[in-house]
Amino acid sequence: MKQAITSLAIHRPRTVYVIAAVLALFFAAQLPRIHIDTDPENMLPATQVDRVFNDRVEQVFALHDAIVVGIVNETDPDGIYNKQSLTALHTLSREILAIEGVIAPDLMSLAVSDNITQGESGEIRFAWMMNEAPATDAAAESIRSHVSRLPLLMDTLVSADGKAAAIYVPIASKDLSYPISLEIQALTDGLAGNDSYHITGLPVAEDTFGVQMFEQMAVSAPLAGLMIFLLMWYFFRNARLVLAPMIVAMTTVVITMGLLVGLGFTVHIMSSMIPIFLMPIAVVDSVHIMSEFADHYDPEKDVSETIQRVVGHLYKPMLFTSLTTSVGFASLLLTPIPPVQVFGAFVAFGVLLAFLVTMFFIPAYIVRMKPEKLENLSRLKAGSDADTLLARALRAAGRFAFGHGKLITALALGVLAVGVAGVLQIQINDNPIRWFKDTHRIRVADKVLNQHFAGTYDAFFVLEYEDDLPLADFRKRADTLLNDAGRLGADVTSLRATIEQDAADMLAYFDAIIAVTDDLLFESEQGNEALEALMSLAEEAQSSGKYFQNPEALQLVETVQQALMDTGGVGKTNALPDIVKVVNRELFGGKAEDYTIPATSPAVAQTLLQFQSSHRPQDLWHMVTPDFRSTAIWLQLKSGDNQDMSQVITAMDDYLKANPLPDGVTANWAGKTYINVVWQNEMVAGMLKSLLGAFVMVFFMMALLFRSPSFGLLAMVPLTLTIIAVYGLIGWIGKDYDMPIAVLSSLTLGLSVDFAIHFIQRMRTLVAEMGSFAVAATHIFEEPARAIARNAIVIALGFTPLFFAALVPYITVGAFMASIMAISGLATLLLLPALMWLTAGWLFKSTTRQTSASTSLTESTGDSL
Amino acid sequence: MSKVWTSMVTAALLVLPGISQAEALTDADEIVSRANLAAYYAGADGRSEVRMIIQDAQGREQRRQFTVLRRDVEDGHDQDFLVVFSQPSDVRGTVFLVKKHVGADDDRWLYLPGLDLVKRISAGDKRTSFVGAHYFYEDVSGRGPDEDIHVLLHTTDAAYVLEHVPKDPSSVEFTKYTTWIDRETYLPMKIEYANATGRVYRRVEVIEVTEVDGHPTVTKSRVIDLDGNGETNMEFRFIAYDIEMPADVFTERSLRSPPRDWLKRPAREK
Repeated sequence: MKQAITSLAIHRPRTVYVIAAVLALFFAAQLPRIHIDTDPENMLPATQVDRVFNDRVEQVFALHDAIVVGIVNETDPDGIYNKQSLTALHTLSREILAIEGVIAPDLMSLAVSDNITQGESGEIRFAWMMNEAPATDAAAESIRSHVSRLPLLMDTLVSADGKAAAIYVPIASKDLSYPISLEIQALTDGLAGNDSYHITGLPVAEDTFGVQMFEQMAVSAPLAGLMIFLLMWYFFRNARLVLAPMIVAMTTVVITMGLLVGLGFTVHIMSSMIPIFLMPIAVVDSVHIMSEFADHYDPEKDVSETIQRVVGHLYKPMLFTSLTTSVGFASLLLTPIPPVQVFGAFVAFGVLLAFLVTMFFIPAYIVRMKPEKLENLSRLKAGSDADTLLARALRAAGRFAFGHGKLITALALGVLAVGVAGVLQIQINDNPIRWFKDTHRIRVADKVLNQHFAGTYDAFFVLEYEDDLPLADFRKRADTLLNDAGRLGADVTSLRATIEQDAADMLAYFDAIIAVTDDLLFESEQGNEALEALMSLAEEAQSSGKYFQNPEALQLVETVQQALMDTGGVGKTNALPDIVKVVNRELFGGKAEDYTIPATSPAVAQTLLQFQSSHRPQDLWHMVTPDFRSTAIWLQLKSGDNQDMSQVITAMDDYLKANPLPDGVTANWAGKTYINVVWQNEMVAGMLKSLLGAFVMVFFMMALLFRSPSFGLLAMVPLTLTIIAVYGLIGWIGKDYDMPIAVLSSLTLGLSVDFAIHFIQRMRTLVAEMGSFAVAATHIFEEPARAIARNAIVIALGFTPLFFAALVPYITVGAFMASIMAISGLATLLLLPALMWLTAGWLFKSTTRQTSASTSLTESTGDSL
Repeated sequence: MSKVWTSMVTAALLVLPGISQAEALTDADEIVSRANLAAYYAGADGRSEVRMIIQDAQGREQRRQFTVLRRDVEDGHDQDFLVVFSQPSDVRGTVFLVKKHVGADDDRWLYLPGLDLVKRISAGDKRTSFVGAHYFYEDVSGRGPDEDIHVLLHTTDAAYVLEHVPKDPSSVEFTKYTTWIDRETYLPMKIEYANATGRVYRRVEVIEVTEVDGHPTVTKSRVIDLDGNGETNMEFRFIAYDIEMPADVFTERSLRSPPRDWLKRPAREK
C-alpha cells in the first residue's frame, strides 16, 4: 500500500499535482455558497425539549430577540431627566423605529410608552409618556415622577438611579442583530450632548461574535500559517521545501471546508474553527517527513530512494497518529450538540485527508525539486544540524531521561496529582458576552448597563394551567341541556356541532358556543330556559377556564415573583400582577394602598380591559395568553453567566419543592439565558462522554496497532498527563470551563498522542534494528527526537499570533496549542524514556535479543554522563 | 307618450349610471362633511349591537359584544354615546358614556361593575385602542373633519378618493391617510393610513352595507394591521334609527343602571 502510494507519487508527480489541484478547485468552488449560523440556540437539536418549549413560549407570548440600547448621563445632576438627554432619547427612538427589521410595535422606550395618571379633576388619564421630547428641564423632571409610579418601566426603561435610560429594540431575526446594531451605532454617533451610548444584549453579542469570528479567521489563520512557515524555514533553511506543508495544509482546509459547505451544512461558531484545528495537524506529518528527509538527504544518492526510505519509516506512525487523532475528533459525534458533531466529523475527515495528501504530495513535491534547491539541506546536515542547540539539548534530555527514571516518574506523578486537584476546581461557566475581551465595546456596554439597570439578560419563568376535567363536565351537562332546548322547540343542530368541536383554544371554543347560543336565544320568541342555562354554563366554564385572571392565581404569580427575587440572582421581575395592580391603583385615585389585585375575576378582567384601551394593547399578551391559561414572568438578570442562571434555577427548584404549585399548574423556564445553560450542561456531559469514549478507543487502537497492550498503555501516558495538566491548569488559574475549552479536549487528546506514537514506534524499530535497548536509546534522541521537538516548537509558536486576537476563544485556542505541545512534548521526550527505562526488561522482552536491557542501559547511560 | 318618455329616461339611467348621479362634487371639504354625516350621524338617534372579533398575529381570537346607543345633539356636531358590554361575561355590565364634542375634548365616563366604580376618563389623544381591538377610539366615535386638510385626489366611477393630512401631526401616529368615499352613499368604504415613509400600515374597510330605515348602513367592517399584528372584524346587528331616545338616557345615572328599555332588541322584522 505505502509502496504503491509513494511510487505513484514519485513517478507521476504531475498526476498528483493535477488531481490535488482539481479537487482543491472543485471544493473551493463550493465555498461561496457558505451559510453562516451564529445562533447558539442551534447548539441544541431542533427537537430538544427545552428548545421546543422555548420556541413555543417565544411564539405564544410574541417574544422577540432584542437589542438593548442604553443612554447614560453621568454628569447632569438630574441624570437622564434633563431636556437634552430625553430629547436625544426621543430622537433616537424614532429613528430606530424606522430601521428595517425592527419590530416597531413592540419597541420599548419612554418615547413610545403609555402613561396612566390622575387628571386634574379626579379623572383617570391615559396618555403617551413622552410623545414629544420635553421642552423644558421641568417637563423632563415630571417624567421622573411619572416613571417612579410605573413599576414596569422603573429599572427597565430608566435605571433606578435615574442616570440611564434604555431602549429595547425587538428584531425580526437574530442575524439582523449585528447590522442593526451598526445602524444604531451610526445614529448615536450623530447625536450631540454629553450622554454616552451603549449597545448590548445576547443577540448582539452572539451575532457580532459571528461576524468578528470570520474576520478573525481571515486574519488569524493566515498569520498562524505565516508563523508556521517562518518557523519551518528556520529549521530547514529551505523556503521551497517548507512551502510543501503549507500547500498540504491549504489543500486539506479548502477541501474539508468546501465539502462541509457543499453538503449544505451551516458554518457555525464551531465549524469556523476547523481551519485553525486542521492546519497544525496537516503540517505535523509533513514536518516528520521533511525532518527525516533532511537528516537522511545525501546529494550523492537518488532523491527517490531517500524519500521512499523515509516514507517507509514514517508510514506506520503517521497512519497511527492520523487514525488516533481522527478518532479523537470523531468522538465528538457522541455529544448531543449538532454543531459539535459536524465539527468533529469534518475535522476527523480532514485529519485523514491530510494524511493522504501528505503521503501523495510531499514525495511528489520533493522529487520534483531541483537538486541545487535541496543542496542547502545537505549543508545543514553536514554542518550544523547534528550540533544545533536543539540537538544538544535533546541529547542531554535523553541522557537525563534514561538515567533518572524514578525521579521523572515521581515528578510526573506530582504533576498528575496537582493536575487532578486543579481539575476538581474547574468552574463550569459560560457567557457569550465574555467571548469578547474586557475592552470590547459590547463588554463595556454590558458592564455599564448592568451597573445601572436591573439587568439586560432575559429569562422567562412560565406558569401554565392545564385541566381537562371541566371540559368533559361541561360537555356532559351541555348535552342534557341541548336535549331540553330541542324539546322546547329550538333547532340545536349547529350548536351541538359547535360544542363537539375541538377545544384546543378554550377561549375561541366557548366564544363560538356563546355566539351561537346567543343567536338561537334571539330566534326563540318566548325564550328558552334550557338555552339560557346553557349560556350561563358556557360563560361560567369560559370564565373559570381563564385561570390567571383569578385573583388567587395572580397572588400565586406574585408569590413566585417574590421567590424569584429571593434567589438573589434576579434583578427584577415583570409580570401580569404588576399591570393589574397599577391600573387598579389609578382607577381608585392613585393611592398606594390601592396597589392591589382586585377581589374577583371579573374585576381583574375589567381592569385589564382598561389596560387594553391604550396605545399598546398588545403588550398584555407578552405576559399572558388570551385564554389566560399561560403566563410568563419576565426576569431581568444582571449576569448572563451560566453559573448565575443555574443558581437561580436550583433555588427555584428548591422553592417549588418546599412550596408545591397548585394542582394543574406547571412551571418551566425559557429565554436565551436559560437556553445557554441547557446546551452548556449537555455539552459538559457530552464532552466528558466523548473524551472517555475517545480515550478507550485510542487505547484499543494503540494496543492493536502496536500489537501489545503494554505499549498501548504506555502510549496513553503522555496524553493522560497532558489532558490532566492542561485542564488542571485551567482549574488552578480559575478560567471558566466554557464552550471553546470543552471542545479543545478532543484536540488535546488527538495531538498529544501523536508524539508518543512516533516515539514508541521509532524506539521499537530502533531496538529491533540495533538489537540493543541502550543503543536505540541514544539513537532515538537524534533524528526522531528532533522531529518531535521541531513539531512541538513549530505548532506551539505557530499559534502565538492567536494571543493577539480580539476574541477570547481564539486566545484560548492559542494557549491550548502551546500548552498541548509543551506538555505532550516534554511528557514524550522525558516521561516515556523514563518509563521505558524502568520497564525495559519486561517491555522490550520480545524486541531485544539482550537479556537484561536495563542493566546494560544503566552502564551505557552511565558512560555518557 | 309620457310613458314612453319615462321608460326611455329609465333606460338611459340604467345604461349610463354616471348620468343618474348628481354632478360629481369637486370640493373636498364638502365631500368629507357629507361622509362624516353619512357615517356617524344617520337619523337623529340610533342603536346597534356590535360583535367584535379581535384576531392577533397568531390567529387567536377574542370576542367582544356590546350595544351602542347614540343620540345626536346637533347633526355634524356634538353627539352622545352609551356603550354597554354584554360579552364576554366577565366584562358584562361595563358601560362607557361619551359626550362627544367637536373641536374640544370629549367627556368620557366609565362604569366597571366588578369594582363597582364610576370614573371619569380623559385621554391625551383619541388614537388609543378601543377595548383591545385594532379599531381606535376615534374610528368608533368619528374624527373631526376640521382636524385634517383634505385634498380630492381623483374621482372614479364609484368613489371620491381623498387624501387627508393632519393639522397637528404630533397628535396622531400617521402622516396621512387616503379614503375612498362612495359617490352614492358617501360612506367611506376604505381608509388607508400611511406612515412617514409613505408605507400603508393600517387599513379600515367596509365589507357589507345594508339599508336600514332608509339609511345605507355599514353592517360589516374590518381593520387590518398591515404590520402583521392581526385584524379586527366588526359586525353590526339589530340596528334601528330614530327611536326617539330621551336625552336623560345619556347621563351618569345610566352607568350603574343601564336603560333596559332602550337596550332591549327591537322587534324582529318579519
